[in-house]
Formats: sequence, C-alpha cells, structure tokens
Amino acid sequence: MRLEKCWFCSSTVYPGHGIQFVRNDAKIFRFCRSKCHKNFKMKRNPRKVKWTKAYRRLHGKDMTQDSTFEFERKRNRPERYDRNLAENTLKAIKKIDKVRSNREAKHIEKRMKGKKSKERREAAKELEQSIHMVKPPSILAQDPSLTLPKIKVKVSRQQTEENHAMEE
Amino acid sequence: MVQYNFKKITVVPSGKDFIDIILSRTQRQTPTVVHKGYAISRLRQFYMRKVKYTQQNFHEKLSTVIEEFPRLDDIHPFYGDLLHVLYNKDHYKLALGQVNTARNLISKIAKDYVKLLKYGDSLYRCKSLKVAALGRMCTVIKRIGPSLAYLEQIRQHMARLPSIDPNTRTILICGYPNVGKSSFINKITRADVDVQPYAFTTKSLFVGHTDYKYLRYQVIDTPGILDRPFEDRNIIEMCSITALAHLRAAVLFFLDISGSCGYSIAQQAALFHSIKSLFMNKPLIIVCNKTDLQPLEGISEEDKKLVMEMKAEAMKTVIGQGGEPTNGDGVLLTMSTLTEEGVIAVKNAACERLLDQRVELKMKSKKINDCLNRFHVAIPKPRDQKERPPCIPQSVLEAKAKQAAQMAEKEKRKTEKDLEDENGGAGVYSANLRKNYILANDEWKDDVLPEILDGHNVYDFIDPDILQRLEELEEEEGMRQAEEENEDFKMDGEELTPEEQAALAEIRKKKSLLIREHRMKKSTAESRPTVPRKFDKDRKFTTERMGRQLSALGLDPSLAINRARGRSLSRRGRKRERSLDKGDNDAGDAMDMDVDQQNKKLRIRSRSRSRSKSRPPGEVAPGEGFKDSAQKVKALKLAKKSVKKRNKDARRGEADRVIPSLKPKHLFSGKRSIGKTQRR
Repeated sequence: MRLEKCWFCSSTVYPGHGIQFVRNDAKIFRFCRSKCHKNFKMKRNPRKVKWTKAYRRLHGKDMTQDSTFEFERKRNRPERYDRNLAENTLKAIKKIDKVRSNREAKHIEKRMKGKKSKERREAAKELEQSIHMVKPPSILAQDPSLTLPKIKVKVSRQQTEENHAMEE
Repeated sequence: MVQYNFKKITVVPSGKDFIDIILSRTQRQTPTVVHKGYAISRLRQFYMRKVKYTQQNFHEKLSTVIEEFPRLDDIHPFYGDLLHVLYNKDHYKLALGQVNTARNLISKIAKDYVKLLKYGDSLYRCKSLKVAALGRMCTVIKRIGPSLAYLEQIRQHMARLPSIDPNTRTILICGYPNVGKSSFINKITRADVDVQPYAFTTKSLFVGHTDYKYLRYQVIDTPGILDRPFEDRNIIEMCSITALAHLRAAVLFFLDISGSCGYSIAQQAALFHSIKSLFMNKPLIIVCNKTDLQPLEGISEEDKKLVMEMKAEAMKTVIGQGGEPTNGDGVLLTMSTLTEEGVIAVKNAACERLLDQRVELKMKSKKINDCLNRFHVAIPKPRDQKERPPCIPQSVLEAKAKQAAQMAEKEKRKTEKDLEDENGGAGVYSANLRKNYILANDEWKDDVLPEILDGHNVYDFIDPDILQRLEELEEEEGMRQAEEENEDFKMDGEELTPEEQAALAEIRKKKSLLIREHRMKKSTAESRPTVPRKFDKDRKFTTERMGRQLSALGLDPSLAINRARGRSLSRRGRKRERSLDKGDNDAGDAMDMDVDQQNKKLRIRSRSRSRSKSRPPGEVAPGEGFKDSAQKVKALKLAKKSVKKRNKDARRGEADRVIPSLKPKHLFSGKRSIGKTQRR
C-alpha cells in the first residue's frame, strides 16, 4: 500500500481514491479526484493553474528547496527489517513533519512581511492627497491636521430656556 | 507398404453416387452452351467431347479401385490367407473382375458412339447419340452396383485390420477361450483388449508392442480356438489359425491349470496335440496360467502326465532348432495374470527364445556373410596379469553417498503441504510466510510495521543513518530559530491615528460612491434617456440638503442658502420684499431653523403658482397665429361649444380611444413563411 501524489495538484492520493491513467508510452498519471482528472483531459498545464502545488512552487509561493524534503525519497531496495531502526524512523517522521511545517509557515510569513508597511505608506499618501474630498480648503488652512472637520451643532435659544426651567 | 497398411485405399462410391459424381463432373468441366445454328463440326465436337470425357472419368475411377485393392496372390501369404478367411477369396476376385469388365465395356461404348457421332448431321441427332452413350455407361455401372457395395464393405473392414508386420519379431498367444490371453497382453503391452468372463470376447487379432533388450516385439493376441475338426471352424478361429500358420513367431500356448475357463486340462491337451503341426519351427512355450487359483503342483496325476507330454512336444521344438539343447525350464512356465507373478519371466523367456532362433537363422543364411564382413569388434589383448579395476574418484563416491542420504531425508522431511493438510486444508490454514525470515533478532519476525503514517509512506523514510541526520536537522532548526528571534524586532512606526483613519475611511467611501455613480451613469446613458440634472424631478437639490452637506464639511451654510433662495424662480416671479430682508443675513446666527421653515413654504407655493400664472387665457403668444386676443377668445369659445353637446350626452369623444378593427385580418389569418402558427 502506497500513498501516491496526484499528478495535477500534488496532493496525496489515499488508497481507494482517484483514478490512474496509463498512457501508451507506459507513463502513469494518478489523480486524486475528478477535478484534477478533468483538468488533465482538458490539457491544462498545472504550472498555470493557480491552486496547484506546481504553480505555487514555481511562483515562489511555497517553499521549494529544503533539507527536510530529502528525508522522504522513494527507495527501491528494501532494507532488512530492524526493530530499532523502525522505531526511530517512526519517531523521526513526526519530528521531520513538524520542522517542515514550521519552515513552510516561516516562508509564507516572510513573503507577506512587507505588506503592512506598504499598506501604511499607501494609506498615508492617499490621505494626504485626497483630504480635499472631505475637508474644504478654508477649513484645511485653519486646521492643517489630516482629520475630519469638526461639525458645529447649532442649538436653538428656546431649548436652553426650557432647560433652565427644568433645572429650577 | 501395401502389405500391412490397407488404410490408404480410396473410398469406393456406391453405384448411384458413382454415376452422380461422374455426370456432374462432366456437366461442370465441359462447355455447356450449344445452339443449333453452330457449324456441324462444332456440334459434333461438342458432343464427342462430352462422351469421351465421361468415359475417361469412369476409366480413371475404376482403375484406381482395381489397383488399390490388394491382389491376394501378390501379398504376404499371411495377409492373403487372412483376407481369404475374412472375406472369401473367390468373392473378392469376382467383384474386382466385374469392375474390370465394366471398365472395358464403358471404353467400348464410348468408342462406338464417338464413331457414330462423327456422322451426326443435326444438333438433335448428336444430342440423342450423346444421351444414349451416357445412358449405356450409367447402366453398366448400375449393374455392378452390388459389387461396388461389397468392395466398399471390404475396404472399411480392411482399414481396421491391425497393422501386423509379418517379418518382424512376433510373439503369438494362443489357447482355449477364456484362459487369460488378453489379460496377458494387457499386462505386457499398452494394448487395451477387452477382458470379459464369456468366451470369444476377443473376436479378431489384436496387436501390442513390447520391448526387450532394446528391441521391439510384436505381441499378437488371437481369439480362442476350440478343439474341432479343421473344416468346422468358424471365421474367428480361422483368424488365429492363419496367424499361427503363417507368422514366424514364438508361440505361447496358454493352459488354464485351474479349469475356470470351463474346459479341463484334458481338453486343452487334446487341442494342443491337434494343432501341434502348426508349431513346426517355432519356439514354443507352454504357459500355465491362473496359478493363483490352482498351483501347478496341486493338479491331479493324469493332468500332470498330460502336461508333461505337452512339455515333451515343446522340447522337441527346442531341440529341433539351433544346435544347443536348452534345459526344460524355458519351455514350461507358470504365471498368474491376476497377481502378476511370473508374467515378466514368461515374456522374457519368449523374447529370448525368439531372438535366439532368429539370430540362428540369420547366421545360417547367406546374407550374413556380407554383414559380418562389414564390422569387426576389436578386443584388446591383456598386456600382463595386472588387475585394473574401474577407478571412481573419491569425490564422486562421496557425492553419491550424500545424494542417497538426501533422498532418505527428503522422505522424512515434513513439507508445507503436510502442514496445511493438518491444520484444516487450503481454505482454513494460511501459511506463515514469515517463518523463515533471516533477521538480526528472531523476536522481530512477527513485527507489524505500519506502511502509512500521517500521510507519509514509512518505507520512504527508512534509512540506516536516519538518527544522525535527524540530529543535524534539529541543530540546524535551533540555529535558524535563534536567528529569527534576533530579526523579529523591526519597527514600523507609520501607524495612523484613529481620527486619521476615520478621515481615510470617509475619503474611501466618497471615492467609491463617485465611482459607482459614474458606472451607473455610464451604463445607462445609452439605453435610456436621462432627465438632465437641472430639471431635478426627484426634488433632491434643496437648500436644506446643501446646508447639511456644507455643515458636514465644517463650513457655515447660511450665506450660501440665502444666496440660493435669492435667486430662485419663485422669488423672481413675484416682486416681494422678503428677498431683501434675507439678503442681510449674517453668518452664523441662531435663527436659521425658523428661517428655513418659512422659506420652505414659500418655495412650495411659489412653485405651483409660477406654472399656472405665467399667461392669462386671452393673451396671444407670438407663434400661435391669432390676430389679437379677441380672436383667440372667440376661437376658444367656439371650441368649447362644439364639444359641449357631446360631453353632455356622455358620448365618446376624440379623447376616447377607438380601435378601428378588433380582429385585423393580417394578424389572424395566413400561413407564416417560416416558423409555427401556434399563437396569434
């Protein structure tokens, strides 16, 4: 029993799922679900389809080169069974997994890092440039800060008299 | 060879079939179309051809029949006699003779008619000549029909005769019926002869083959012979007699000691003596069968005497051949086909005797000298008296010993199949394939390693130095994490204050509003006409709204409102002084709310009035075409009068909608050029 990778989206194909297509030149294409299979039949290039791992790796969205990938390699020669080795392997798999997912997260974080500062700079620029849409120049001359103008509320005299009456 | 393979004779067709075959062939292979207008020579030729063709075919076929059937005088006397016994020689010859005469007759007929045809003078005459010729030929064949049928029967039977080679080494088995001849032949050869308790189970000769000293021997089983005078014998017995008479073979005379065949030893001995003339020059062995029922020692005195007599006769045949008198052991043998004891001994003895006799004969004949001259066996002369036994190397001896031991062991070893059978058979027991694994520690044989863990294939990760690599990885990870912490404290101090953020949000809202409105305007401008803004059908553009927007911006709207009001249409329509008052408005006083209220009422009123009070009824507008207002008033009056009566009578007027025809024809009739007329 082996977990294979989908040819189109590179997700794992568990046993009992998906379709396997064997071409006349004996190349095997495995697909995890009909979405990938249909895309393949439409002759779409996975490197151009945004949601596939191939695209993401090619365009630097996901981590490409790392030492954790070298632990998992298809071995064609079976090793003689050794219980200690097996135990160690099972433990190692978990640790390697953790390390790899950490590194991937860091990669994405680094990628996103510059966004906040960029956003802020843009916001500041926009505010400065378009403040005239909410603040007329006369008010801006008086109050040069980049904030909304203060609205003066006009209270009627009648009301104030009534209030006084209430108070007394 | 013709002698012993009669299977190659072609089928002899029956009379009718014969005629059909030949005539249809004639019809197919010769031209068929002829008209009476053809030249006479052509007509003659046409019919002569048919006659000749038919004659040739008959000749051919009859010749094959005659040639393929064996001539009884020309073949080996054994076969000749056998065929005579089976199918009477005379009848056989007669049938063939008839076929021969038929052939000659047909030739004569054809010759005669061809001669006649040469002088045929019309189509009809030629045709009838041909018809006559063919008819006569067919009658000839019809007459020999029974012969043909007989020959066909013979052919079928001959094809099934056993292929006996009269010249090779043969062993003949004879004796009374039911003594065990067929059982014997079943035992020593691969023949499968019927063995049954009733007499004459075997009705014809059967052949089997057996090997002895690298030579092949024919063994012939014969039907049983009864003790009768020669003339009374039936065909079946005659078969065996023929075989005995003609084949140069070793004879095994079977004797049933126990008498369970139904005939006593005396009777069998009598038979023996009556046919002993046939055993001339043949190695004879007397075989006592069925010793499991009655051993040879246990028989009565008289019987023993008879047996001894027979043995004596047999001895005579032995001494009569070859110069060396053999002992009596090879002449009288006992065996039992049921228990199979002595069977092989009998066979070997018979083969041996036969071989000796044949060799003797060959040696005596003249031909042998030619053979002897051709080969020479060289025997090395011993050089000295030293013994030189064969030398087998030690390793070979050891290997042989080991192999013997292995064979013994193999028989003792328990196989997996045995284990399976013990534990419940194929469906119940499944073999433990891990039993013979070679591992560092035998406790690990039953370990189950998972193939899949957390979405990974475990086998892809197995590596002898995985621990070391994991350590390296963890070190690397630790270092990297330390580096990252150092880098983490990077400040971005360009945060906007909440008021600024509010301003930015307001700006963005306004921008999106503008964009949306523009898009709406852009999209609808082509499809429908829009009322230009100045006509303001929704009555949006009020001074109140302006005032609100201006105060939201932080400006004081009162000045702008006053100015707008000063310029309004209603204001312009009535020359009142209220506008002057409003002109003195100072910015930012507290009475703005009341002023707004009064302005609103004025504005509404002024709107309605401005429309209806623009022109009095009698006033003439420049483009109307009236001379003066009096004329216009008169015209209006006339118009009113004309309509008055109709209105009073409540009749339909011009304003009332009229449909000239409720069902116009062009809509309710006619076929469409394309499409359906399902609805009108």
